[in-house]
Amino acid sequence: MITTELDLSYVEQIVAQCGTGPDAVIPILQAVQHHYRYLPERVLQRICELTEITPAQITGVSTFYTHFRHQPLGRHIVHVCRGTACHVKGAELVQDAVALQLGLQPGEDTDARGEFTLQPVACLGCCTLAPVVQVDDTTHGRVTPRRIPELLAQALRTPAPRRARPLSPRADAAGAAGEIRIGLGSCCQAQGSGLVHDEILSVLQEAGVSAAVKRVGCIGMCHQTPLMQLVTPQGDSAFYAHVQPPDVRRIVLRHFRPRSLVRRVRYGLSQWLDRCYSDETTDAAETLGLNLRDPPVCAFLGPQKHIATECCGDLDPLDLDEYLRHDGFAALRRCVQELTPPQIVDEVARSGLRGRGGGGFPTHRKWHMALEAPGNTKYVICNGDEGDPGAFMDRMLLESFPYRIIEGIAIAAHTIGAREAIFYIRAEYPLAVARIREAIERCERHGLIGREMLGSDLHLQLRIMEGAGAFICGEETALIQSLEGHRGTPTLRPPYPVEHGLWGYPTLINNVETLACLPWIFRHGGDAFARLGTGTSKGTKVFALAGKVQRGGLIEVPMGVTIRQIVEDIGGGVLPGRTFKAVQVGGPSGGCVPAALAETPVDYEALVAVGAIMGSGGLVVLDNTDCMVDIARYFLRFTQDQSCGKCTFCRIGTKRMLEIMDRICTGQGRSGDLEELEQLGRSVVAGSICGLGKTAPNPVLSTLRYFREEYEAHLRGTCPAHKCTALIRYQINRDCIGCTLCAQHCPVNAIPMTPYQVHRVDLELCTRCDTCRQVCPTHAVDIVS
Amino acid sequence: MLNITIDDQHVPVPAGATILDAAEQLGIEIPTLCFLRGYEPSTSCLVCVVRNRQTGQYVPACATRVVDGMQIDNATAEVSAMRRTALELLLSDHVGDCLAPCYFACPAHMDIPLMLRQIGQHQIRDAIATIKQDIALPAVLGRVCPKPCEKGCRRNAADDPVAVCELKRYVADADLASDDPYRPACRPDTGKRIAIVGAGPTGLAAAYYLRQRGHACTLIDQAPRAGGRLRREPGPDELPADVLDAEIDQILRLGVDTRWNTRLATQADLEQLAATSDAVLLACGVTDAAQIQAWGLPVARRGPEIDRNTYQTPRAGVFAAGNLVRGKALVVRSTADGKEVAQTIDQYVSGREVRGPARPFSSRIHKLTSEEIQEFVSGAGAACHTTPAPGTSYHGEDAADQSNRCLACGCVAHGSCKLERYAIMYQADASRFDGERRPYEVIGRAAAVLFEPGKCIKCELCVKIAAAAREPLGLTFVGRGFHVELQVPFGGALDQALTRVAAECVAACPTAALHFRDPHAGPHTQ
Repeated sequence: MITTELDLSYVEQIVAQCGTGPDAVIPILQAVQHHYRYLPERVLQRICELTEITPAQITGVSTFYTHFRHQPLGRHIVHVCRGTACHVKGAELVQDAVALQLGLQPGEDTDARGEFTLQPVACLGCCTLAPVVQVDDTTHGRVTPRRIPELLAQALRTPAPRRARPLSPRADAAGAAGEIRIGLGSCCQAQGSGLVHDEILSVLQEAGVSAAVKRVGCIGMCHQTPLMQLVTPQGDSAFYAHVQPPDVRRIVLRHFRPRSLVRRVRYGLSQWLDRCYSDETTDAAETLGLNLRDPPVCAFLGPQKHIATECCGDLDPLDLDEYLRHDGFAALRRCVQELTPPQIVDEVARSGLRGRGGGGFPTHRKWHMALEAPGNTKYVICNGDEGDPGAFMDRMLLESFPYRIIEGIAIAAHTIGAREAIFYIRAEYPLAVARIREAIERCERHGLIGREMLGSDLHLQLRIMEGAGAFICGEETALIQSLEGHRGTPTLRPPYPVEHGLWGYPTLINNVETLACLPWIFRHGGDAFARLGTGTSKGTKVFALAGKVQRGGLIEVPMGVTIRQIVEDIGGGVLPGRTFKAVQVGGPSGGCVPAALAETPVDYEALVAVGAIMGSGGLVVLDNTDCMVDIARYFLRFTQDQSCGKCTFCRIGTKRMLEIMDRICTGQGRSGDLEELEQLGRSVVAGSICGLGKTAPNPVLSTLRYFREEYEAHLRGTCPAHKCTALIRYQINRDCIGCTLCAQHCPVNAIPMTPYQVHRVDLELCTRCDTCRQVCPTHAVDIVS
Repeated sequence: MLNITIDDQHVPVPAGATILDAAEQLGIEIPTLCFLRGYEPSTSCLVCVVRNRQTGQYVPACATRVVDGMQIDNATAEVSAMRRTALELLLSDHVGDCLAPCYFACPAHMDIPLMLRQIGQHQIRDAIATIKQDIALPAVLGRVCPKPCEKGCRRNAADDPVAVCELKRYVADADLASDDPYRPACRPDTGKRIAIVGAGPTGLAAAYYLRQRGHACTLIDQAPRAGGRLRREPGPDELPADVLDAEIDQILRLGVDTRWNTRLATQADLEQLAATSDAVLLACGVTDAAQIQAWGLPVARRGPEIDRNTYQTPRAGVFAAGNLVRGKALVVRSTADGKEVAQTIDQYVSGREVRGPARPFSSRIHKLTSEEIQEFVSGAGAACHTTPAPGTSYHGEDAADQSNRCLACGCVAHGSCKLERYAIMYQADASRFDGERRPYEVIGRAAAVLFEPGKCIKCELCVKIAAAAREPLGLTFVGRGFHVELQVPFGGALDQALTRVAAECVAACPTAALHFRDPHAGPHTQ
């Protein structure tokens, strides 16, 4: 092994940038890890020498947050998405295949040669492409275990991982006739919209077409991305879905004519030649065209109401002038120039807005307490530490509407008299961080925030703190601990942060979506907001709709619409031939609403009454091929893994529950297990000190309530949905034609090659990866339980 | 002042007081593991939960501040159940044996590790007292016992067991040979009279322990002297008569009355005996069903019908134990029965609730890996297993060396551990939850302070004490969730971590996760 001398001079540079106080520990560690690709112990010791950070603090913090590594990374990183949508579509089998291919032993994440590091991630946000694997910068969708060797080999052929590709500069819109809009949210980019964007620019340049190219935020139709919208000089608008770079030229030229005659002729000819030589008989533009008046599109967009996502698909996220043209900062101006803080709180009270992070606490009451709290030093924090698997509403809002969130936080800060506001954003959201950072700078340059905000005598300083990989930091007391440079362990409430928060000062913490609603409320009035929704749940809610639904995506619906409307009207229902079984709402803190209760409205209290919660907005549709025990175990495994480990009920209680669930899913359940799950689950709910522990048993308790017979079937050794690998067997039936495809693809050689004979699966070797069933041309592979 | 009621008792407390403070003022004990005055509450163990009657929520008493008018439930079944569950969860992740496996392997539940430690320190007088707490006939058993304790000895898995039985015999023989054999103190006479039918191992043991409790005992046997099956079953080579006689003498000299050549034949005999005694113990060995019916007692599969916990027959005041109810049991089992039935009879004649012998609480590690066995062995004496040649006995140094082979599997904090104390108080079941357990390890064998990670309950007290004392290295939690662990930063050793406050940390540790190498020497000799 080669040992290289560590260059420690970088440490001094970092300390000079980040500061020497104990609260600088996380930014310092982030910078160090970025530089060295891990945290060498010598470097950590050097940090302790240079700062007030103690060895105990740096050790505790650097081992608490999962982003920090104490071993060097492999040359390539394989991210396997473990979000809910990917889980129900087989992410676990994919991850097992990667581990098998790399020869990883349990507990290892990097192969012996240091080529690959396997990192499961909570959610890559490409739920409609599930299951998703990201190798370095390349995102692969609908991955099956058998594609893994090829994907890894492909990465090895690429000499070095590419850095995140900077976007090409924006095309100059001067003199442009018409506009081409391309969605550039994280999910669109993951599906290749960055390449489409570049292709548009080069086509426009080559063809001499004058049209403005505009990157817009998320439009929510994730099942259609990359999505391209063309607005012609005449004002007509056309949508194209699933656009790939080779399609761009035809689509552009269909709507825009090259400026010079020569180019027009040349392009006409090349298009004609292309058609002669390509197999495709239809025009890309025909197949990809999306008519907004198509019934499915109408159904998807129809019931939605855009408040937090106002103007989605129209705005360039970072174009401040455009935001201002759309009444941007009018709400803040009204609050600063026309209203007193108590009047602002009254307006919020009239709107009926409740916290969108999951708890549903009335926003105006929190604001009132923060306003009334004594002292001159107060803080506002935007909680962007979204971490539910399968939920990415906050990321989309931060990426697509950074100015709206800034306006919201500025209203909050102005109201309670805070001079500092902090965005706490997950480190997994680099694009959101970059956009908020850029947006803050632009706002400050324009005098919209900062010193003498909007020409008043108010000062507001905005800064960003990046999380470091701990779901628990979405809990507000843990978030504060993290900001202060500690391990992210929650503290007992009361005292609440509005009384005793960051550094002991009153601190108002609001979720991203909550803040995003504020500008609309102040432009249209609280009453207008309150006219939407139900008795106790007002306004709208953004959901990430995913799972076994035909049209997944990000949606914003008025409170009070029913689960059935969301699943069937917006989502288009489940696949033909399947039956809708349940909806999982609220992710790891939530529960399942069975199909029989699909008339339940989206309403804080109604969802709690059926054993679910509103949560932050994850909504996963499940059909008859989904095992409810497996789903419950999936969520419990997530929270158990994310438990901070502080209090007994959560640290050990969720572990023991998970062990019982593991037992049940592997056919080793015992009589009394279900009763123990219920009893222990109720104790964990009652005894845990923070929201994570108090809600962690919900997925189990709610599935036990509605799907107890599935649990009982597992106790008898069968998985009715044929999902739990320990309870199923693969068998090859008489339809086998002896083509040997299954034998060729089996990653563990569990199927002997017997040409022209019916094949056999060696169940001892079989890992239940499902590859044989997928490759079989004659449906000769059966799963039996 | 703020008003609070706990279990309907009212107390005014100053603003800022916690529920725990209020309980203390009322003299109500609320259990705590992770709380220490002078430090911010960790709210980690959650053993101090109480229920807020108004909200129905369970809150930790140590950190919840009193709100005026608060009503708290503390001594309810629901609160106890929550505390029990918290304790059971902690015990499920607690790798340690409060009591060594030999304790459970021995039917008489003798404190074998204590005896061995005493022999190791040449304290023979203390050792015989330890033995006779639980075994009335050690010289006899030292010769006839098939040694279940040695089969349960952990050292078996590494090399050979500790020679527990031989060492016990060594102590018992030395005691009998001394000028002044050990004689336990007997309480003043209670005036209660116990008739014991059968002077075999069960009856003798029962008489020995009942006398110590101050009850008058009469041993009745159809034979002309005491001994029962001990005179018939072992051969004279195995158990010489003089040894048996000498040990019986030690029992009889506590003031036991005897009636030899007396047979209990009929129901009338039994009724007469019952009428003249406060309790009757039937311990006359294997007896046929016809005889039991003749006594007027219902017959079970073996002997008269009894309550297996209390040895009570359906006839009030009549007890039965030993081979009469077991058929063919080890002698050590019979002497154990004698000890246990003595406890029950004591409860009965004293007018207390008859619950039978207390079942001791213990956290148990169960099966060990070979690495874990090695971990145990590395802390024990390295001598090889030897037994004295037939007809000879150990010498003092041999006996000490053999005793020091003990792995001391039991916990140093047994009896002082807060987790153990509350587990007993709340009747926690240490085996309610099974599942992944961490390995048994002892870190820092060479240093003064030892750390057993498996016993750590993550109370955070040592971390806080070290931080408050500005220890240069200190302690920290590493990782998170179920796998969170206490560690010294940068791979340091414990004595580097705790240069100033080792004694405070050991004293604050609610279990034996942190302890001094020689727990019996105390911190000041370190």
